[in-house]
Amino acid sequence: MKKIKAAVFAAVVMFGSMVSAQEPPQGAPVDLEKTPWLKGVELSPYPTDLTPTLPLAIYLENGEAVPATVTEDVPLVLVADTAIFDNDPPTHANDQEIPNPRWDAAAAVSWYFIDWEKNQNFNASTTPGLAANQMIVIPTTPTGKGAITCHMARRLRYDAPEPGRSKVSYANSSVGRDVRVLDITPPLCGLEISVEKGKSGSFWPVEFPPDKYPLPKTANVYFSGGLFDAVDKEIVVEGLELGANMVVAAEQVAVKVAPDAKLSIRVIGGDNYKLDNAKLKYGICNAGGGEPIPVGPINEETIDLANLELPEKPYIFVDATDTTGNRQILFVPLSVTEK
Amino acid sequence: MKKFGVFLVVFAVFFSFAVVISAQEENTDDAAADEATEQAVEIPGSVDMTLEMKPDKFVMPANFRGGDPDRGLVNALEDVFYEQHEHSILYKEDAGEVAEGASFEGDPNITWDTKVKDADGNFQTVSSVNTNMAGNGGKFFAPGEYQIGNGGARQVGGGEGAEDVATGNEGDEDGGAAGGNQTDEALVGENGETAEGGAKTVTANQAMGVLVHDVTAPDIWIAFQEGAGNIDMAATEQELKNKMVEKIVANLGRPFSQKAEEYEDASYVFVDEGTSDERNLEPWKKTARLSVAGALFNDRGAPKFETKTVESKTLSEENMTRQIHVAGGEDEALKGVFVRRNVPFIFAAMSVDNGNNRGSTAEVACRIETADGKEVEKDGKAYLFRVPNYPREEYKDQPEYFFVSKAMDKSGNLTTVRMPLYIVNIQAAFEGGRNQ
Repeated sequence: MKKIKAAVFAAVVMFGSMVSAQEPPQGAPVDLEKTPWLKGVELSPYPTDLTPTLPLAIYLENGEAVPATVTEDVPLVLVADTAIFDNDPPTHANDQEIPNPRWDAAAAVSWYFIDWEKNQNFNASTTPGLAANQMIVIPTTPTGKGAITCHMARRLRYDAPEPGRSKVSYANSSVGRDVRVLDITPPLCGLEISVEKGKSGSFWPVEFPPDKYPLPKTANVYFSGGLFDAVDKEIVVEGLELGANMVVAAEQVAVKVAPDAKLSIRVIGGDNYKLDNAKLKYGICNAGGGEPIPVGPINEETIDLANLELPEKPYIFVDATDTTGNRQILFVPLSVTEK
Repeated sequence: MKKFGVFLVVFAVFFSFAVVISAQEENTDDAAADEATEQAVEIPGSVDMTLEMKPDKFVMPANFRGGDPDRGLVNALEDVFYEQHEHSILYKEDAGEVAEGASFEGDPNITWDTKVKDADGNFQTVSSVNTNMAGNGGKFFAPGEYQIGNGGARQVGGGEGAEDVATGNEGDEDGGAAGGNQTDEALVGENGETAEGGAKTVTANQAMGVLVHDVTAPDIWIAFQEGAGNIDMAATEQELKNKMVEKIVANLGRPFSQKAEEYEDASYVFVDEGTSDERNLEPWKKTARLSVAGALFNDRGAPKFETKTVESKTLSEENMTRQIHVAGGEDEALKGVFVRRNVPFIFAAMSVDNGNNRGSTAEVACRIETADGKEVEKDGKAYLFRVPNYPREEYKDQPEYFFVSKAMDKSGNLTTVRMPLYIVNIQAAFEGGRNQ
């Protein structure tokens, strides 16, 4: 009798130990200071339903891999390859058999572009009308660390243990492809100018249409303030090619000042990714267009025109380059006239 | 044999101890093994996720409104705030469960996605919100079948898999980054690093079906039009219906004008969910807006446009259905409809419902009845009363008439109108509008 008891005890201990070893690890209690995104979550991370996670691969339309580096604003036609589109649903979820599985709805598909540098997510989808497993993705945000992700879920019905009853769960499929997005948009810098004891104004370019591709990119330049006779309104010079030769014509708008004016100048605007501050230049130059040949000081916050020998047609310019090398030079005519 | 029993017990204890130790020290042993081989465990492309609606008294039972309990959708009500939460090993502090020896590089990226099922059975995105939080809340503003999806991603480093590249070409699994004629070198950015040099993005997602039920009573438009001379009243009635079909959809149930002078041809009663700030109120706060426009809603025949709110009431607590009832009468905002003796008139009523986003119309049952509920028939192609019954104190011997109308949506929400119909003596002082 003792032998039987001992054997039963041994079996119970062995069985208990094996069950204990198979339980999923529970991990440490949630520390909301370290995982603030779990605030209000009272749910286990381990599914108890038969909810299969299916592998997913995404690649280019021509079958090639998603490039590690993609170019801003250049569309990519991507294809998702997963069994979630198969006629027959999966038969197992985490090694458990799904009894009599059948699809219960169409697949729901979402594509995103994540900028990991900002931990910000953008809807990557654009053109409708493609096959369910295809998407045109346009990465509009330059980043050194990003990812294209695709998430899919499809409702699955399977037999419940009770005869005649059924249950519902979801087959899921998702993947991410890490990419960097190369910046191809030049900076969008302008200037804010104040005349000592006089008027002030500012001008700045705005990419228009936004995210234009193919190149060249174009921009409208906005002028505002008394210096441009544009108080409570904006003067818009439309359709300049965004790049190193943005010249505003004198008959469109000009910075009108007296020969002895003292100008305070500040750069406004920036780049859609990272501006190379070491290459930023602004000042007065001797002509509109081409490589600016400065007249007087460069990057000085105050310019005293009385100290300069101005050429016949001077321009105020701002020359900005981003860290990728895209360059923008904007020339605005400087009209020097006696009061 | 005794020795064998002791041996069995000792063996069992040692075995169980070994298994427990094996389970508990799996991480450290494996990490040590990994260090030895300098090979990290492969990082998966995706991991499991859980997702559910948080318990709430307005999460309705599986058989709500007679639905199939096995349907597998969460039964919810429009315009009620619900909370959802989700979880995954991707959101934990430690990446050890994603892959042995792995580490998280940064916070997760979390997006809540709401899609609605269209008529073709496909899911169309309603909203996609990047909250980076695993808990979420919001309202469904229209009935329908929705799918709430959560997409999570996080950068995981410290294991294999950060450099894997998927292609559609067999045998090309280990191929480098490609992109037409572009090469990585040509496209490398400022730091000279390529994206695959660091961590790998691991994803997770899960979904939940939600059936959102309609708790808003349908909108009703009722039009009355008098005729005279040789007007074909049947054609007029059809024209009136056609006009309402066109305008009630275009205006999403709201009155097409608030100017009394635009109601010279016909007079209207509008009962709708109201202005934008009155719409989508929680079920227990729901109101409707009653508007009357035209010359037939006062005994003087003066054209007017008047509007006021009407409270709703619970029709069925169990089914969470609502009723809007507009009662006309001497002390009510809507006193009744006033038609002239010996002048034929017709009426028609249409409704739209938010159950299909007010996208189609339904003809509404309406009739004139006596106080005891007996229906009054048309006199030919129009209604015609030859004996006045208003003012009531002068015509106490004449029957009371009521105009009644009833519209019910598919969910059982109800809008009803019951107002007196007064026959005015043609000698009475009609002061304005086309009745003069």
